[in-house]
Amino acid sequence: MLIKGRFWRDLLVTVMIIWMAVLLCFGFQAIFGGSEQITNVFIFAVFLVSLWTDGYFFGMAAAVVCMLAFNYAFTTPYYFLNFSVPENIISALVMFVIALSTSALTSKLKIQDAVKAESEKERMRANLLRAVSHDLRTPLTTIYGSTSILIENQTQMSAQQQVRILKGIQEDTQWLIRMVENLLSITRIDSGKVKIIKTPIVLDELIDAVVLKFQKRYPNQHLEIQIPDEIVMIPMDAMLIEQVIINILENAVQHAKGMNKLSFQVYVLGKRAIFEIKDDGCGIPEERLKKLFTGAGPQPDSNGDNRRRNAGIGLSVCATIIKAHGGDISAENCREGGAVFRFTMDIEEADDDEQQI
Amino acid sequence: MTNNKYKILLVEDEANIRNFVETMLENADYQVVLAENGEMAKLMYSSYHPDLIILDLGLPDMDGMTVLDDLRRESSIPVIVLSARMDERDKVLALDHGANDYVTKPFGNAELLARIRSTLRNNRTSSSGRRPGAKFVVGDLVIDYDARQVTISGQRVKLTQTEYNIVALLSEHCGKMMTYSAIIKGIWGYQDEGSVKRLQVNMANIRRKFGVKPGAPKYIINELGVGYRMEGDRENG
Repeated sequence: MLIKGRFWRDLLVTVMIIWMAVLLCFGFQAIFGGSEQITNVFIFAVFLVSLWTDGYFFGMAAAVVCMLAFNYAFTTPYYFLNFSVPENIISALVMFVIALSTSALTSKLKIQDAVKAESEKERMRANLLRAVSHDLRTPLTTIYGSTSILIENQTQMSAQQQVRILKGIQEDTQWLIRMVENLLSITRIDSGKVKIIKTPIVLDELIDAVVLKFQKRYPNQHLEIQIPDEIVMIPMDAMLIEQVIINILENAVQHAKGMNKLSFQVYVLGKRAIFEIKDDGCGIPEERLKKLFTGAGPQPDSNGDNRRRNAGIGLSVCATIIKAHGGDISAENCREGGAVFRFTMDIEEADDDEQQI
Repeated sequence: MTNNKYKILLVEDEANIRNFVETMLENADYQVVLAENGEMAKLMYSSYHPDLIILDLGLPDMDGMTVLDDLRRESSIPVIVLSARMDERDKVLALDHGANDYVTKPFGNAELLARIRSTLRNNRTSSSGRRPGAKFVVGDLVIDYDARQVTISGQRVKLTQTEYNIVALLSEHCGKMMTYSAIIKGIWGYQDEGSVKRLQVNMANIRRKFGVKPGAPKYIINELGVGYRMEGDRENG
């Protein structure tokens, strides 16, 4: 489908350019009568076609067509193909060379762009992997150590002690589960360079799913929700967007010290939905704010508290997902204290078909 | 050796998972039969006649989905699918292939037990057809099938035909996750490009009419990209 569309577009571009070149040449011929400008016009047309189309085919085709047109209509004898004049042969050769070299150049540039984008992605992935593999060791150590203790010293330990150690294992496992979810999301975006598959989702249902999941993890954290009354449809990969919101909410719970109020608001502005997650905690230090979504930011007390590790990875996953959806994500500190995370998504126009039946 | 415990066949190739699920089920007073691959599962099924099967989709010898298809060809035994594949499409596929429910790994014990209870319960009740004068009750919501009316705390909710049909359909299969396509087939009979969207818009309207607040789902639970599930028990009479 896509390749076909590309082909027709290129064909159209080629035809238009040559058509305009021919018209221009007729104009020149009527005014100046000479053929020097006419050669230049055709050479320029071939150059443009090669520049604006993919591959070599259209550039070469344009060269052939221009050469024939030039030879046929604009050189003596007029309206007659004549291959014996050396001048004509030379202009034809020049056109071919220009078509070839321009096409080669543009193809090369395109490949370079792709390589650049790929290496950017590669760099991000490497950053994440490094952060993750470092972070995986800590919970694994806890789990391994704790289970060993339980197996070896089972009889000497009080039930209370055992429960405490088991709780530690449980917490760390839950943390690992979340980490794996994040990693899965990334592979889902990256795998096979397939674009994410978007399906229209009703905002209410997304919010339901997110809140249920969030309350399950943090039953004691109250969350204030405000969304538009009307039905809002947003095309998305629901699982990934769910993860974005959960990550941001979780980030607030874990990092916004002194937070009393956590609110989640969605509003529609033109053709975009704006998701806003706001807390009244300690805010984000300036130096971290800049690198918040890159996954490469300085890890806060990297050998310290367990609960603080997830931040960089979770948020860079968010950024990757939102970008893949064509939206923007940002974070800032509020003037009245606390931090606010915002991301946007395009909404789908709700065609109000039948309400009845 | 006769007892009145429910018999559950657990098909899972990972020994560790088999171990802890078996322990959990036994503690919850179920009788457990184990199988570690698809061949064995079929054998165990025909020799033990379990009441419910927990089926892992990633089996070493064959795709769990094939096992499910084979089972469905001869019986309607309740099957809960266990899977590490989290994709909505896989969930839909499993449900449309006749699974009664699914639980994704990693799962909480409480979650699995709740699904087992609800699946066993629904299997017991759903086979009986709707009797005249039947009503469905979940919390303060009552569906009067004869009058085609829904009330919440005694207040009548004004639903359109389609909206009522959807609610009624979900209530008839309450406790079971109904995929979009299953609901669409039941309501409109045919499926086209806009069907899922139409269904979602209808559901959004139903939620508003039920006075359900976003983030606090009631009566009907939605699973993004998969379908809807009506909460509660079916009561006849």
